[in-house]
Amino acid sequence: MTVTDNVFENLRLELRRGCLTLAVLAQLRQEHYGYTLRKALAERGLEIDESTLYPLLRRLETQGLLESEWREEDKRNKRFYHLSGDGQRIFGQLLGEWRAINASIDNIL
Amino acid sequence: MELLDRYLQAVKKHLPWKRQDDIIAELRANLEAQLEDKEAALGRPLTQGETEDWLRQIGAPIQVAARYLPQQYLIGPALFPTYWFVLRLAFMWSMIIYAIVSAVLIATQSPNGTAFLEAVLRVPGILIQVAAWVTLIFAVIEFAAAHYPEKCPEIAGVTTQWSPSTLPPLEREDADGKKPRHFSHAVAEVVFGYIFLIWLLLIPHYPYLLLGPGAYYLHGSPFQLAPFWVTFYWAVVGLNVLQLGWRSVDLARGAWQKPPRLQHIVMSAFGLIPLGLLLTVRDQVYVTLTHPALDQARYGGTVDSMNKAIHLGVLVVLAIAVLSLAWEIGQMRMGAYRKRAAGMR
Repeated sequence: MTVTDNVFENLRLELRRGCLTLAVLAQLRQEHYGYTLRKALAERGLEIDESTLYPLLRRLETQGLLESEWREEDKRNKRFYHLSGDGQRIFGQLLGEWRAINASIDNIL
Repeated sequence: MELLDRYLQAVKKHLPWKRQDDIIAELRANLEAQLEDKEAALGRPLTQGETEDWLRQIGAPIQVAARYLPQQYLIGPALFPTYWFVLRLAFMWSMIIYAIVSAVLIATQSPNGTAFLEAVLRVPGILIQVAAWVTLIFAVIEFAAAHYPEKCPEIAGVTTQWSPSTLPPLEREDADGKKPRHFSHAVAEVVFGYIFLIWLLLIPHYPYLLLGPGAYYLHGSPFQLAPFWVTFYWAVVGLNVLQLGWRSVDLARGAWQKPPRLQHIVMSAFGLIPLGLLLTVRDQVYVTLTHPALDQARYGGTVDSMNKAIHLGVLVVLAIAVLSLAWEIGQMRMGAYRKRAAGMR
């Protein structure tokens, strides 16, 4: 990997990081467990590594944006996540921020 | 499945024990569901090779586990600029103190080349020790700020506790368009000044440090330096000590950016003293014969010529130094006049 490729990769990751959080919060307006959430995001064009998504769910829960519960489904215990009250409020704010940035970038371009 | 169990076991080893069972249970449920989907799509179980490829794509166990841990820093980005500043200061002052102590010890106890070499070789070790201590202290501060932010808010907010009025003055170019000196330049000047002083103090014991192989020729030659050179030598040492002391004080006071022109002039004026002393030598005898009784007839004329040449050289150098000093004084007066004139506009 060249230096330029490396710079691009770092910037790409930086750009994606915030967007992933927003996408996860958006998708968790409906309840999901880790794997189905990953599939749902991938079906909508957003691929996320397992090693990125699953720890992200934990962090968002620690921050109070998600709530979770263990439940049995298909004879297997799974941890289901959904947006908490705070999560819904902050998701709304983040969505507004993202739309404003998006509109600004479009104007600049 | 055995491979997945082994994989999860390896991940578990790198997780904090309080949360490891919960995290592994969740990860297992997700990965097993994913595996089932893959096998359903293929219509058969995954081969050993396919399972390995899949797990390799998920990531090494230690990296996967690390994603579940909070970001940890030895010294975080908020504290790092302060750490870097303190580290550079610690390096500078440890070197200055070490150079002074070494110079004194070498000059008073064992003034020889080996002692000098040993002192130089100890420098990397001292720098590593200083860096280790500073890093350790800042790592403790970082740990305290991260784990007990309520008990040390002033540390956590170190970057916000500043006032614009404490900023250093604007770096202006002087009247000659010269930029202020860089900090590293000023530090290097002081450090090399001390190294030069050590070298100077070693010269009487090891003349080859000054003359190189010429020292051995001088030792076997019919000529020798007149005793007056000892006085000249100590005058030069005194001048260096004065200059170095002045620069060290400037550095300590933070006045290293632009040493005042007056300081330069004073040092130039003091520099005239050793040269002036050379002119006071009785009969202008700078070099004598080692064995006058034996060599007077053969080398007497040569010695006279050498002394006359040295005397003439000293006169020329002194004249240049005096003219240079006069030029400096003139420039200073001109600068002061311009400043007054600009102030009256």
